[in-house]
Amino acid sequence: MIPPAAVRAAWPLLLLLLAAMPLVTPGSYFQFMLILVFIHAVVAIGLNILTGYSGLFSLGHAALMAMGAYTSALVSKGLAAVPVLAATGFHVWIGMIAGTVAAAAFGAVLAAPSLRLKGPYLAMVTVAFGWVVWKILLEWVEVTGGELGITAIPKANIGPLVLTTSYFYYFALAAVVLAMVFQRNLIRSAYGRRLLAVRHSEIAAASVGINVYGVKVKVFVISAALAGVGGALFAHQQNFVNPDNFQFFSSVFFLLAVLFGGAGTLIGPVIGAAVLTLLPELLHGFDRIRLIVYGVFILATLYFQPNGVAGFLRLKVTTLPGLRREETPAPAAAIEGLRLDRSAAPETDALLEVRSLTKTFGGLTALKDVSLKLAPGRVHAVIGPNGAGKTTLINLLSGFYRPDAGEIRIEGRPADIRSMHGAAGLGIARTFQTIKLFGDLTVIENVMVAFERHAAPRLWDSVGRTARGQREEGRRMREAEALIAFVGLGDYGMTPASALSYGHRRLLEIARALAVRPRILLLDEPAAGLVAEEIDALRRLIRSLCEAGIAIILVEHRMELVTAISDEVTVIDYGEIIAHGEPGAIQRDRRVIEAYLGSANGNAQD
Amino acid sequence: MEFFLHILISGIATGAIYSLIAVGYSITFSTMQILNFALGMWVMIGGMLTLTFNVMFGLDLAVTLLALIVVMILLGIVGERVSVHPFFRAGSDVWVMSTLAVGFLFINVAELIWGRNPEPVPPFFGDGIIAVGAFAIFPQQLLVIVSALVIFLALHLFYYRTLLGKAFRATAHSSEVTSLMGINTRLICVLSYVITSVLAGVAGFIIVPITFAEAQMGTVLGLKAFAIAIIAGLGAPRGILVCGIAYGALEGLASGYFYTGIRDILGFSLMILVLFLRPEGLFGTPSSERA
Repeated sequence: MIPPAAVRAAWPLLLLLLAAMPLVTPGSYFQFMLILVFIHAVVAIGLNILTGYSGLFSLGHAALMAMGAYTSALVSKGLAAVPVLAATGFHVWIGMIAGTVAAAAFGAVLAAPSLRLKGPYLAMVTVAFGWVVWKILLEWVEVTGGELGITAIPKANIGPLVLTTSYFYYFALAAVVLAMVFQRNLIRSAYGRRLLAVRHSEIAAASVGINVYGVKVKVFVISAALAGVGGALFAHQQNFVNPDNFQFFSSVFFLLAVLFGGAGTLIGPVIGAAVLTLLPELLHGFDRIRLIVYGVFILATLYFQPNGVAGFLRLKVTTLPGLRREETPAPAAAIEGLRLDRSAAPETDALLEVRSLTKTFGGLTALKDVSLKLAPGRVHAVIGPNGAGKTTLINLLSGFYRPDAGEIRIEGRPADIRSMHGAAGLGIARTFQTIKLFGDLTVIENVMVAFERHAAPRLWDSVGRTARGQREEGRRMREAEALIAFVGLGDYGMTPASALSYGHRRLLEIARALAVRPRILLLDEPAAGLVAEEIDALRRLIRSLCEAGIAIILVEHRMELVTAISDEVTVIDYGEIIAHGEPGAIQRDRRVIEAYLGSANGNAQD
Repeated sequence: MEFFLHILISGIATGAIYSLIAVGYSITFSTMQILNFALGMWVMIGGMLTLTFNVMFGLDLAVTLLALIVVMILLGIVGERVSVHPFFRAGSDVWVMSTLAVGFLFINVAELIWGRNPEPVPPFFGDGIIAVGAFAIFPQQLLVIVSALVIFLALHLFYYRTLLGKAFRATAHSSEVTSLMGINTRLICVLSYVITSVLAGVAGFIIVPITFAEAQMGTVLGLKAFAIAIIAGLGAPRGILVCGIAYGALEGLASGYFYTGIRDILGFSLMILVLFLRPEGLFGTPSSERA
């Protein structure tokens, strides 16, 4: 592992070296190749944000680059006829912006439909897109110039200063540096934390209010825009473009650059772009065996070093850049933050009301005609044998499933829960029977990611490191610290979630759910796998949540916990309510005993 | 009328090939949630082997087919071992890259062995025309359509009438439970990959006299087949047959009456549209997952 100080010191040195390049060898071929490295690096950085950090594949980035290149070429050629623009150089700058926008727009058109389903759709749609673009560039001769492409693309100029190769070198270098800063600021921020969360567990991300689909589409658009920038740079560097520059294999080139350099590392895409751009120059007869080299590179990287070259450097991913630490509120303050504003809410005895909820899967009725009520500050336990439909109820209330019949009302009004993040937005948070944490992230980051409902990160605040963004990030951090202290994990803030003990993971899931600031908290077997002392702590925790006015639905098998803290208990079996009442009465109910211990004809169904 | 029938029939023949490749995506996707991203390149290998065995070695067609199937089985086993098994983890999409990498190796190796120029393969039953009134068809086209139908029927019988086929369907439903029932799901995975590669090889075999043998012959076929699998629904084999043939016919007519350039754009636009309106495909059923 390289010490961070060495990495920090290496940066200015490397930059200085690159900046001195044109002075040493002006106008050389090597300089030209380096410009190409810079351009490829910009596109690869965009792809890394998509593939490395968000886990989405694109095999169409060359086509998006083509969008940037052709749009910029055509627009700047058209605007060159306007003397004012041509003299100042604005024709090219406007062209490059248009190219970037065009690439981003096509990115949105591709991503919006293909991200609706999980699976290989995006990857294949991007392959198809790349192919269609290539075809259109070839066939639509009147506009694209067909096979010959577009020639005499204006060079960029700033007033009378024309950016010839030596000057363009610095321009391209600046573009890479900007792209890297963009990437770093994006990833090491609340926005990047959101991407990592989505990559790690889409369901958990949705449960804390993240609009997973929206995040994915947006990150694709960001990535496409960077490809557009690369394309525009390419057009004005080469001064001609043709379809051959943007074939399918160029898309593969970029993906390979990201994989080989190190997907999900800040420097990886730059290393990858440099190696892959310069490698063919070193290998004689490379063209003949290009695909074999690509194929072997891909397989070897995936086998031996899934984190690529940068993986050797073991640079740590964190979404927490050095924030100024301010006073952290005491754990007790966390509960104050959660306390519901009783004056604003209408006085009601049914914060949540479920009416005749029914859900079927194929022929199987998982839940039938289930109704229940829940008042603020109360614990309503839902118990029943395995497979009775308890988790289905939680899945319906948290928006994971949509009911086939019945109604969910919150504060007396029908609640239209269309998605998990929608449910979180209404103040419904949940935990999972099988714990779903963001294992790569630290304990505090797991909680910080869940402030979507109150302090959703904005792109510009993250990338621009604005004062407002820093302020909000500091607030998230303080509140998260208070919350983890509140659940008893105060000493583990910087521990990766995957390194926690089982009981601590359960607590962290609760802390994360609390960050949503729920009115209604759905706990799915929170005591499963806990030892007696931990259950005791959990009981106290739930108690204090009730006192803060949070309404809790508790699905649980551990009867000692259920009887100790529940205000009322609903028992379901085979998807139907078989008993409802106070805990003491339920324990004596004959049907409940039968459901649990089995009667003459029944085993518990699983 | 004659022109109409002619392009319709040739479109249907092309469509039958699309379906044959597309159902390959569906087979592995339903058992393992993965698919061979470079299936088109496997079709090309089928075509190249036909060129080698039939034209270069002068082997009989039946022997060629048999040898080709053996090679495709071996390649399928190796391909699964190299590009699927090591990366087979829930939620991981790495197989997209690894199966594609194998496809690259195929293309480049094919270029090195067979060169870059398209090589003709003579039609299996000559190039006379079978004509009944206005209805005329090349024997190779007829062969393509009939073989596709026979293969689909065989697949259907396999899936619904044999015990192994039932194991396939069980694995598609829940790999974990099937494994608990004592079925070797690992074997099912390898088998489904092998079946897919054999189907691709056979598709290459029957289409190579129409397309010529060249290293890139399968790339676009594979892409279009994927578009069809999406349009029909990855989990709907019968829908894939219907959509493939309908698509082939539509494509034939569009390029016959309008402009050939429109042909390729049509399919991908349709795919995007279907993904937007009905992401599970025209014949697919929406799936539900568990939290």
